[in-house]
Amino acid sequence: MRARLLAAGLALLAGSARAGVRPAWGGELRVGLPAAPHLADPARAVDPADLFLVRAVHAPLLEIDAHGALAPGLLAEVPAPEEGGRVFRLRLRPGLRFSDGAPLGAPEVAASLCRLLARDPPSPHAWVALAILGAEEVVAGRNAIPAGLQVLSATELVVTLALPLPDFPWALASLPASPVSPAGAGAGPFALVAQDPRGARLVANALHPGGRAYADGLLLSAADPRGAARALAAGTLDLVLRPEAAGPAPVATAALLATVAAVNGPRLGPGAEAVRRALSALDRGELARLFARGPAEPLLTLAPAALLPAAPPAPAAAGAPAPPGPARLVLLVPAGAGEARAAAERIQVKLFDRGLRAAVSAEEPPRFAARLAAGDYDVALVPVPVLALRPALAAAEIALATRGPGAARQALAELGVAPPAELPARLDALARALDLVPLLATGERASAGPALQGLRPLPDGGLDPGDLWLLRGGQR
Amino acid sequence: MLAAGAVLVALLLGSPPRAAPPPALTTVAEALADALGPPAEDRRRLALAVESRAPALAGPLEAALEGALARRGWAVQPARPGDRDPEGAARAAGQDLLLRVQGGLVPGRREIALVGEAIPTWPSFFLQARPAARAAPPRVVQARAEADPETQLLGREGRPAGAPFAVVRKLGRVPGRVLALAVGDVPPAGLTLALALPDAIVLLGPGGVPLARRELDLATLAPMRDPAATIAVGDFGAGRIAFQQAGAARGEVLALRAGRLEPAGALDAAPLCASSRARLFGAFAPGEGVLQDGLSTVPTPPAPRSRRTLYGAAAAPGGGPIAFGVLGTDLRLDLLGPDLGPAAPPLEGIGTGFALADLDGDGVAEVVASSPQPSGGERIRILAPRAPTPLLFESPPVAGAILAGAAGDLTGDGLDDAVLAAVVREPDGSLATDLLLVTADPREER
Repeated sequence: MRARLLAAGLALLAGSARAGVRPAWGGELRVGLPAAPHLADPARAVDPADLFLVRAVHAPLLEIDAHGALAPGLLAEVPAPEEGGRVFRLRLRPGLRFSDGAPLGAPEVAASLCRLLARDPPSPHAWVALAILGAEEVVAGRNAIPAGLQVLSATELVVTLALPLPDFPWALASLPASPVSPAGAGAGPFALVAQDPRGARLVANALHPGGRAYADGLLLSAADPRGAARALAAGTLDLVLRPEAAGPAPVATAALLATVAAVNGPRLGPGAEAVRRALSALDRGELARLFARGPAEPLLTLAPAALLPAAPPAPAAAGAPAPPGPARLVLLVPAGAGEARAAAERIQVKLFDRGLRAAVSAEEPPRFAARLAAGDYDVALVPVPVLALRPALAAAEIALATRGPGAARQALAELGVAPPAELPARLDALARALDLVPLLATGERASAGPALQGLRPLPDGGLDPGDLWLLRGGQR
Repeated sequence: MLAAGAVLVALLLGSPPRAAPPPALTTVAEALADALGPPAEDRRRLALAVESRAPALAGPLEAALEGALARRGWAVQPARPGDRDPEGAARAAGQDLLLRVQGGLVPGRREIALVGEAIPTWPSFFLQARPAARAAPPRVVQARAEADPETQLLGREGRPAGAPFAVVRKLGRVPGRVLALAVGDVPPAGLTLALALPDAIVLLGPGGVPLARRELDLATLAPMRDPAATIAVGDFGAGRIAFQQAGAARGEVLALRAGRLEPAGALDAAPLCASSRARLFGAFAPGEGVLQDGLSTVPTPPAPRSRRTLYGAAAAPGGGPIAFGVLGTDLRLDLLGPDLGPAAPPLEGIGTGFALADLDGDGVAEVVASSPQPSGGERIRILAPRAPTPLLFESPPVAGAILAGAAGDLTGDGLDDAVLAAVVREPDGSLATDLLLVTADPREER
């Protein structure tokens, strides 16, 4: 409660020389997103629009406070590592309920962690639970519950990991770890009441443990760049969250959408080395500066720079001359991933400069994921939203998205207890081992209308819709 | 003809009758006369020179002192007004003693203070060669007494020509974020500032000196996205301080006992504000840090009149035709009379830190308000709601975010002052609150 009070106070003073108007409750908040959100399941959502919806509907087990430290959320306290970072005791706040009224206790938390390990369809966020003892058995379909999950009481459970991972609580603070009710409801600031291809409508969740959201309702819809700017100027949208600015003085979110190039070595054969060298030689700073629509920075290793204690090493210089590259190759990108598409087109030019002819092919996300899993690609540009603010977990996310659960476990094992000084080198080694070339990390810009208040990007790049409020209580 | 008759009546009756000085002036004059003591060695001729920055105070004070000194055996001769050398004049007139008295109200306290300089002016046989020399060293006498309203009225200084309507001065800084504040008498401490913080109730003296603090039990509160509270100082039965936190089931009443704030009762409604004449109650909207649109003068939860919600209410300390101000979350301030009916047209665009205070003593409260625009810098405005051009004063930019206000006589001049709470961020990132005094007391301009 005290942490919540501090956060509220700091939010109040966000920005300089702000005059004092206390928050008002009420009104419907209209938000324009790059696409209409269609997934509210924290175990499935990866697109920015879906992640915004997930953050509105669900509540993480732990929160990240204004100083970037873990703070109690649904859990009453931040769990301390026991037995060398292998065991964590999770204690929930009493009396929690999902927005649909269902009780939220230790069994629901355990069930939600198990959902992340489901085999069919696999969750893109299995990295949250892969370190739990027995997770492999669940992923392989041989068991329903990992041996490392033990519910002790209605409000307490013990998580035993297969490997030491002191940063495991940071995984619990990520959105995918949010508990989900049997009916699919969350415990977040809003409850989903209607959804169609045009958008989603939500109402404030009176049962939210952080207090009722300021806005009575939330209306999420898709807005293209021009339409978003027009709607914001006309006052028909209160907030636009897109890579481009849609209004004056936009607020940038953290650049945590990582785009990495996965090289298919077995398929490219001896020619893969030329491709690797060409990708490694790319000017990633230029890529971020000139070809990203939103705030961006070069991604020099398998974790965004903001998560690293020290600057990562510069990309290694080319050694002996590489064998000739393939006659042709295809850069596979997911359709709708604007930053990855823009990067692919620039890479296409750069590869041509080095004598490599490349074509860009965009696939719808399900098909893209299937081809990636089946190894049906030459080079794939994979966008991965980094949701956990620790290098080992970020690397596990990227490894899972590109190379599957085994690679994610490898990342956790190699980086979980790495000394901070060794992290950049180990991340670099892991990238080489997984045949990945990190490219850039991007964020979004939040453009607000004149009535919107409380705009405060979270350290993980998101916004808490419950904290947003409208001047005069939304009276238009 | 009429004037000649008046002169005749005056001659028949002796000098024009003087009204009896107010009791506080009598008290302080008697105390100063006691400090001076009776005449010694038959030197009883005393020249009295009274000075004060408050022009209206000098005459009545001189009358009170003349009477008090006469009762102790002095033969008092008031000095001529405007005399530049009262000591020389007293010496020339053959007076034995000159008593030069400076009098005025003590800033921040309801007291009148006198400081006198007793200067021997009798001629000394041994100092005939130096007629201006003093036969004995002078001595200082002084006295204080509690100022009654009449004395405060007399002691009020005039505003210098061209001076602004009011000044803003920092009273002090308290750690944490002040959610609500109130000003009023809390026996036995006297005039105090009561502050509602998210986790404590704090009582300060008028100079900002901490008097007492009571930690609050946050575990009993319903979750609240932004903490909020109401607080009032007034007649709440067994205690003078009443408050309610948003998310709490009931309001609480506290009393100051032996330097500690102790529970003295509970309330079914949220205490919004109180004056010397009335109290106002309301109710928090469920799950929210704002109030429902309902007001009551008794401590029972009022039924909401509409879906409008309120930030809070303020009372004019002395009542008057504009007794209450009620601010909606639409930033419209409704000005209400003692019967809660409209007393003036509502004011639009009022910030959430506001107070009602009769700063100029004209009997009608002014509105002291913060800025309603979160995107700009903070400024304090003073508005006269019934005036054709309401804006009386606008301050330079103020640091922080003003979120709460209250009114009371903090300078001790008998007129209301306002206190506004501006939340600021300390260099270490923590929150603190600057308490800003807004006053029309000219002594604060020096």
